[in-house]
Amino acid sequence: MKDKHIIEILDNASIASLSESELSEVQAHVRECVSCRSAYEASRLSTIVLKSRAQATTEPSPFFQTRVMAAWRERQAEESVPAMWRLWNSAKAVVSSMAVTTAALAVLSFVIPATPTADQTASALSAESVIMGQASDEQMSYEQVLSTIYEDEDEAR
Amino acid sequence: MELDLARQAQEGDESAFAEIVRRYSPRVFSVASRFFRQRSLVEEAAQEVFLKAFTQLGSFEGRGSMEGWLTRIATNTCLNMVRGAKRRPESTVSDLTEDEQSWLDQQSGDVGKQPSVEDSVVATDLADRLLAVLSPEDQQALLMIDGENASIKEVAEATGWSESKVKVRAFRARRKVREAMGKLLRRQGDK
Repeated sequence: MKDKHIIEILDNASIASLSESELSEVQAHVRECVSCRSAYEASRLSTIVLKSRAQATTEPSPFFQTRVMAAWRERQAEESVPAMWRLWNSAKAVVSSMAVTTAALAVLSFVIPATPTADQTASALSAESVIMGQASDEQMSYEQVLSTIYEDEDEAR
Repeated sequence: MELDLARQAQEGDESAFAEIVRRYSPRVFSVASRFFRQRSLVEEAAQEVFLKAFTQLGSFEGRGSMEGWLTRIATNTCLNMVRGAKRRPESTVSDLTEDEQSWLDQQSGDVGKQPSVEDSVVATDLADRLLAVLSPEDQQALLMIDGENASIKEVAEATGWSESKVKVRAFRARRKVREAMGKLLRRQGDK
């Protein structure tokens, strides 16, 4: 030990963990070796401050448990909201397509009227003119109105 | 017993979870105190540990103690918080303050003297400055082994690192801190 420097011993383990015999050997060495003496002193002081730091612990306050439980409840509540959101996201496509279909049907039913064909329009106009023309001279019977309409339609075909 | 408590809490039994918090708060605070000095930060970390533990209750199988299981969660949670703060290790330690100087003088003289509260604060501040040259992981290894007399195995269990990794970290950290302290002492001696 006398001729062997002790730096490695100091770095391998804390001074506090050295056995009595190891410690006395180290101390014997540092009495004669200046470089190891300063390393030993630095190591000894480091151990003291580390022990002091390890003892600097914070105790839980009396309200800590209440605080954690409140945070726990809050987080549980937050997690339930995203669950509803996920449910909405998965149902969103179906609901949206249903809404679009309903809207399209409503538009077709109420906004756009049925458009008559060109022939139907012509026959309707022709029949109307005959009926209206005769109506001014004399009252037509129901059968006469129908036969006039059908004649016009047959001619159109 | 601990496993029953864990299962009850996992099923949403609030009183069971409250009991876990009550029973293991001192241990979790002790771990968080290694990483943080400010009470508000220690409490914030401890709270996060318990909330995280609740989500991981299913992984507790009762093979080890709940205290050990929580210690590991606490260590990793605090390490993540420190890493998230992105505080880089400082490469140098600034000069000693007057209080630190007188504390060191006292340590050289009255070896057996009981340290006062003020002395402990000075020593703790100095320790924090020395530890700042290390990574958070190396700080933990050194504080547990040299500060709390924990064994290599205990550190490995608390952190999830292999024993050889713990040894390497502790060796490297001890050397860096010793060198930083040596520089401070030399600088002070030159004045």
